[in-house]
Amino acid sequence: MLRAGLTLAIALASIAALPVPAAPGAARPDAGRPDVARPDAGAPVRTAAVPAVPVQAVPIYGGALTVGLPYDIDTLNVYSTAELGDIEAAVVEGLLVPDEHARYVPLLATEVPTLENGGIQLTRGGTAMRVIYHLRPGVKWHDGAPFTSADVKFTWETVRDPSFLAESKDGSQDVTSIDTPDDLTVIVNYRAISPAFASTLFTFGILPRHLLEGHDLNHDAYNQKPTGTGPFKVSEFRRGQYVVLERNPFYWRRDAQGRSLPFIDRVIFKIIPSSNTMGALIRAGDVLLAPRIPYMLAKQLQGARNIELVSGPSLGWVHLDFGLKPGSRLRDPVLRRAIAQAINRAALVKASGGYPQAIRSPIVPLLEALYDSSPEALAPAYDPDAANRALDAAGYPRGPDGYRSKDGVALNFWITTRSGEIDGEIGEQIIMAELKAIGIKVSADNKSGIAYREARYHGDFDLLYSRWVTAADPVYSVFYGSHGPLNGQGYASADLDAALERMETSLEPASRRAAASDVQRILARDLPAVPLLDMVSIAAKSARLENFSTNPTNMTDFSGISRWYLDPPTGPATARAAQPPDERTPMPLDERAAERAAGGAP
Amino acid sequence: MSPQFLLRRLLGVVPLLLGISLLLFIIIHLAPGGPLDAYVDNPSVTPEALAQIKVAYGLDQPLPIQYFKWVKSLAQGMWGYSIRSGRPVTTEIADRLGATLLLGGAALILSMSLALPIGIVTAALRRSAWDHALTFLSFAGISVPVFWLALMMQLLFAISLGLLPVAGYETIGSSGVLDRVRHLAMPAVVLSLATVAAWSRFLRASMVDALGQDHIRTAYAKGHSTMGVLIKHALRNALLPFVTVVSMEMASIISGAVITETVFAWPGIGRLFVESMDGRDYPVLMALMIMGSAALVLANLAADVVYGLIDPRIRYD
Repeated sequence: MLRAGLTLAIALASIAALPVPAAPGAARPDAGRPDVARPDAGAPVRTAAVPAVPVQAVPIYGGALTVGLPYDIDTLNVYSTAELGDIEAAVVEGLLVPDEHARYVPLLATEVPTLENGGIQLTRGGTAMRVIYHLRPGVKWHDGAPFTSADVKFTWETVRDPSFLAESKDGSQDVTSIDTPDDLTVIVNYRAISPAFASTLFTFGILPRHLLEGHDLNHDAYNQKPTGTGPFKVSEFRRGQYVVLERNPFYWRRDAQGRSLPFIDRVIFKIIPSSNTMGALIRAGDVLLAPRIPYMLAKQLQGARNIELVSGPSLGWVHLDFGLKPGSRLRDPVLRRAIAQAINRAALVKASGGYPQAIRSPIVPLLEALYDSSPEALAPAYDPDAANRALDAAGYPRGPDGYRSKDGVALNFWITTRSGEIDGEIGEQIIMAELKAIGIKVSADNKSGIAYREARYHGDFDLLYSRWVTAADPVYSVFYGSHGPLNGQGYASADLDAALERMETSLEPASRRAAASDVQRILARDLPAVPLLDMVSIAAKSARLENFSTNPTNMTDFSGISRWYLDPPTGPATARAAQPPDERTPMPLDERAAERAAGGAP
Repeated sequence: MSPQFLLRRLLGVVPLLLGISLLLFIIIHLAPGGPLDAYVDNPSVTPEALAQIKVAYGLDQPLPIQYFKWVKSLAQGMWGYSIRSGRPVTTEIADRLGATLLLGGAALILSMSLALPIGIVTAALRRSAWDHALTFLSFAGISVPVFWLALMMQLLFAISLGLLPVAGYETIGSSGVLDRVRHLAMPAVVLSLATVAAWSRFLRASMVDALGQDHIRTAYAKGHSTMGVLIKHALRNALLPFVTVVSMEMASIISGAVITETVFAWPGIGRLFVESMDGRDYPVLMALMIMGSAALVLANLAADVVYGLIDPRIRYD
C-alpha cells in the first residue's frame, strides 16, 4: 500500500502481514528491542554525508535470494500500487530514503535538505518554503540513460496530473513549481511550510522521463517492468506467481570499503498468500526471507533450524476506535473511559506472542522527540474495577444476564477488524471477552477489502480494532483532525485541530514537541480511540542471509537490499569469496537441492 | 439429437447470459464501496482529479448507461481494463486461465477415475467390509477441511519426505512436464478428494437403486456375468443423475478453487476473483462472473447431449 504519511498508513494497515519484533536468531520475542534505534522524529533528518553502507563482515557476491510476499501484486509502479512497494524498493530509487533508524539519508540526492545546510529556504515571509536538492552525478537508469533533474521534475508533473490514476499522490499538491537550473539541481517550491516533505513524493521514487514522456502511464508496460536506478532490475513478472530481479551491474552505489553493490545476483519474490504455506516454505528452505510475518507465524518459527527471526521497530500502533457518529451510545465519555479501563493490554501482548509492547498514546514512545510520558498525556491504564464502578455510577446497571443497559437499551456493540488477519482477529476476541467481563456485549463484524475500508473511513462501526503506520515524520491530523480524511469515527475537536496545526506546520523541534504533548493530552482526555500496542516488524530469514535489517517506516525493508549478501549453502562464508562480480559463476536458481545435499536445510 | 435443437439451445444462451449479467451487475453495485474508494479517501487526489478518474472508467455515468456500455463493449470483444492493475481484463484473465484449467481438469479426471470404481464397488458389494471401509473414507473425505488436509500433505510430502514442492505452479526457469506434475500433484489431490467422496456416494446410491430393478434380475437370469450386469445394465442406468452432478462440477472448474489456490500459491482464477472482489474491480469481476455463468449454462447443455448418448430413449427434436 501506499507510501507516505497517510497513504502509507492506509497501506500498512491494510496489508496482510503485521510487523513484530524478534530477536536475531531466535527466540525471545522482545530480544533486540534495546537495539531499536530512535528516529529523529521532530524533523527530517539532517545527514550531510553520502551514506556509507555499513558492512560488518566480509560480504560475498552472488546467490539467489528467494523472498516470500504475502500479497498479490497489482502493479510495480511505486505511485499506483496499493501495496507496500517491497519489490519497487529494490528497483526504483528516490532522492531520499529512511534508514533502519527512520532517519532520512540521501540516496539520489547528495544530502538531505535542511535549514542549516541551506537546502530548505523559507519564502513569502516565512509562510512557504523551497527545497533544494543536489543530485548525485553519474547515476544512470537501468538502460544506461543518465539520471538528471529533468526526471525529478517529470515525476512531479506526472504524479500530479489528474489523468494519472495513482494512489500515492501525497505531496504533489503541496508543490507549486519546480526549477531545474542545471542537470544536477532541483528547486522545489512549496505553497506552504511542509515539514513532512521528505516523507512524500520524491522519496517514493523517480520516474524516467526519457521512457515515459508522452505515454499513458495508467496502462504503460512500465507498470509491469519498471526502469529505475536501483540495485536490481526486473527481468520477469509472472502474475500471481513471482517477480524475478537481476543484479544491476552498473549500480552507482558502493559500500564503505568501496565494493560495488549489490552483492546478491538475483532476487525472486514469490507470492505466498497463505501464512501457513509461508511457514512451510521457510522451513523447507524454499523461501530465504519473509518480511513482516504475522506474530503467530513468528511464534511457530521460533527455534526452527537455520531460521532467524529479525525484529525491528515500526512507526505504528494498534488501537481500538470508537464510532462517534450522532446517535452512537459511545459518545458518552464515561462509557469510552470504562471500555479503555477494561482492556488488559498485557493479555493482548501475550496473545501476540509477546512481541509488541503495551502503549497508551498514539504518539509511540519510539518517537522520542515527540512522545510525552506524563500520566495526563496517556490513556487510562487497565482497571476493570474502576470501569465497573464508573458504569454503575453512570446508570448502566447489570441485568440478570450480566449485561448492562441504560434506558432499556442494552450495551450491545459490534466490533470490526480486517478479516483474515490472524493477529487482529485474536486481539478482537480478547477485547470481546474483556468487555463482557464489565457487562458489555460485543459481537464480531469483520470485513475485508473495500468493505472494510468503507466501514473504516465512513464510520460504519461501533468498535474498530485496527492499526496505523506513519512515515518517519508523522502526520496525525489525517487520523484525528476534524476533517482528517482517515477520520471515519466522527470525532471532532477544535482544541485538537489547533494543536495538530501547530505540530504539523512547525520546523522548530521544541515547538513541535510542545504541540505534540498537547495532542497527546487532548486525545487522552477525549479518548476517541484507545491506543493499545506498538508494532514490531518481524522478518523470518535464512541464517545464510547477512546484513539484513528491518525498516520501521513505510518504505519497506528492501530499501537496504543492496548491502545484503548470502552465505553459500555449504561451507564457511568465505567459500564463495568476494570475487569481482564479472568473474563469478552464477549460483543455481534453485539452491534448495544443494542445501539439502549438504544437510544444511531442515 | 438434431442440429436445430443444438442451435436453438445455443441461441437461448444469449438472453440467459444477458439476464444473468444484469443481475450480477446490480448485485455488485449493491455491495458497499467502490473501486475509487482509494482515491476518495486520499486528500492528495483533488475533486477535479477524482472526477477525471470517474470519467476514465465511465463511473460518472448512471448505472443503466454503465451496464449498456459494458454489454456493448463485451459484444465487441473489448472487456475493458482492470482498475487494480491497469491491464486489459482479457490479459488479466488469460494469465490465470491456464493454471486454473490445469488444476481443475486434473482434479476432475482424478475425481472421475476414483469415484466411478469406488461407487460401483461399494454398490456391488454393499454391506461388505469393502463397502463399510470405503464409505467411511468417503465421509472422511467430505468432512476433512480442505485447508487442513492441504497443510498436512505439505508437511508430509514436502517438509518431511521432500518428495514434492510445498507450493507454487512451477520451478522458475523450468518448463518440464515432470516439474509441472510435481507441482500439480498435491493441489489436484486435495481439490479432488471431497469430490471423489461425494461423487462415489452419489453413484453408489444410483447403482444400488439400479441394481434393484427387474431387468437386472433378468440379466442375471440370462447368465450375464456380474461385471457385465454391473457395467452394461446397472451403470448405464445409474449414470444419468451422475452426469448431471459431474457437469455442474465441470462448470465450476473455470471459477477456480480459492482455498486450494491460496494454500498452494497456485496462480488461478479463484485468487484473482477474491482480489478483484476485495478491490471492487468491476471490469474483472463482471468478466469472471460472466465466464462462470457461461460455463455453467454450456455444461448444462453438454449434460443434455450426454444424456442422449447414454440413454437411447432420450431424444431431442
